[in-house]
Amino acid sequence: MVARKSARKSKARKAAKKISKARKAPAKAKASKTSPVSNKAVRLTFSYDGDDVKLLSQQRTEMTVPPSDAVKGYGKYKGFWAELRSASDKPLYRTVMHNPTKNDAEVFPESPGEGISRQPAPKRKGVFVVVVPDTDKGEDVILCRSTPATKGPARGIRALASEPAEEIRRFKLKK
Amino acid sequence: MANGEVLGTTRIVEAGPPEQRWNAVIVSEGYRSDEMAQFATDARQFADTLLSVAPFDRLRAAINIYRIDVTSTESGAKDPKKCNGTGAKPRTYFDASFCSNGIRRLLIANNGRVVKVVSKQVPQWHMAFLAVNSPVSGGSGGPVATFSRAPGAVEIAIHEMGHTAFGLADEYEYYSGCATDKGHDKHSKSEPSQPNITTNKNRATTKWRSLIQPATPVPTTSNANCANCDPQPSPVAVGTIGLFEGADYYHCGIYRPEFDCRMRNLNRPFCAVCQQVIVKKLTPFLPG
Repeated sequence: MVARKSARKSKARKAAKKISKARKAPAKAKASKTSPVSNKAVRLTFSYDGDDVKLLSQQRTEMTVPPSDAVKGYGKYKGFWAELRSASDKPLYRTVMHNPTKNDAEVFPESPGEGISRQPAPKRKGVFVVVVPDTDKGEDVILCRSTPATKGPARGIRALASEPAEEIRRFKLKK
Repeated sequence: MANGEVLGTTRIVEAGPPEQRWNAVIVSEGYRSDEMAQFATDARQFADTLLSVAPFDRLRAAINIYRIDVTSTESGAKDPKKCNGTGAKPRTYFDASFCSNGIRRLLIANNGRVVKVVSKQVPQWHMAFLAVNSPVSGGSGGPVATFSRAPGAVEIAIHEMGHTAFGLADEYEYYSGCATDKGHDKHSKSEPSQPNITTNKNRATTKWRSLIQPATPVPTTSNANCANCDPQPSPVAVGTIGLFEGADYYHCGIYRPEFDCRMRNLNRPFCAVCQQVIVKKLTPFLPG
């Protein structure tokens, strides 16, 4: 009993330390194992008009790329992300994004006490940008997105992504 | 013909070589050439505000901030009468306008043009902000976080940066409003890819499990009526990390890490999980 209590206390101390770390200075956390920090990058600019996504440009730049999100898993995840893939279609880099092609928009309150909300914005079109490491192994960039619900009360104009994401477009990187 | 011109770029916060640092850029819109001193002041204030927000206050050594001076022929932004605006139609470089999609406070500019200018001026940019010279409250997200000069509008830009630069999800639990929502009772079972929301209420496997103290109940709050937002106040101390039901525009079946967060409400700090994500993304930009 005493041993169990002591183990609980030790667990609590460890968790408290982690929270404190998360709130305090970043120290020099190691980059994720799956995160190639590169100083060479490709910036891809896309346009979208409804569901139609086109690649407008690829720009090679000397810059540091933020570390990758986990490259494994995500098979059943919903959302929107971009991946850098190798010639054998292995994911090399992934960046999770707030879906830039949404058919709604965030609306902000005028006074501080009110909440943020969303409103349908079916005519949205525009651009978005993805930056990936420029590596010898990188061949393609793919975009993955969940399809909005087609059934239920939130279908149609207010539809939100509810199902696991699927590859929607693939683009060859210029060598 | 362009309604103005790009004058040039000034680094207003210097942390190191742009190819090694995280580079934020703030661009002017709707400032006439005789208003550029005002933009310089606004950009400085914005930089100071951003760098006072946790965790950016501890990551200053990783962040460069640039100001791109772009003049407009006329001052302000379009403010269509159909949204009860003034009807003003100033000629501006990036065509910023309120009333996008019929929503007054949805302030959107030609983001394609902004991206082109920023990519040319600061090829190593990571995050772009567009400061619109209008006292009307408004803003929007996307590749460029757009905000007006209305008091508090900078908060919009920082929230949007959470989405654009760090892939954070919205943590509010409704769509258009708690009382008006239809079809937002229960989130689907699919796990979201964003790091700050989850459907997984298993303490041992949930995304931010390492930050949950053993004494914190999991789930920390549960919504008793999924037809509406959860009205209960937080049962735990401010800053407690757990699983709070309601996020990602749904009342139930989806959890956020803290009771409140900047990704849920403006004028709040980022929660510890969001801060951890930001720190992880920016750590490689710190000097070696």
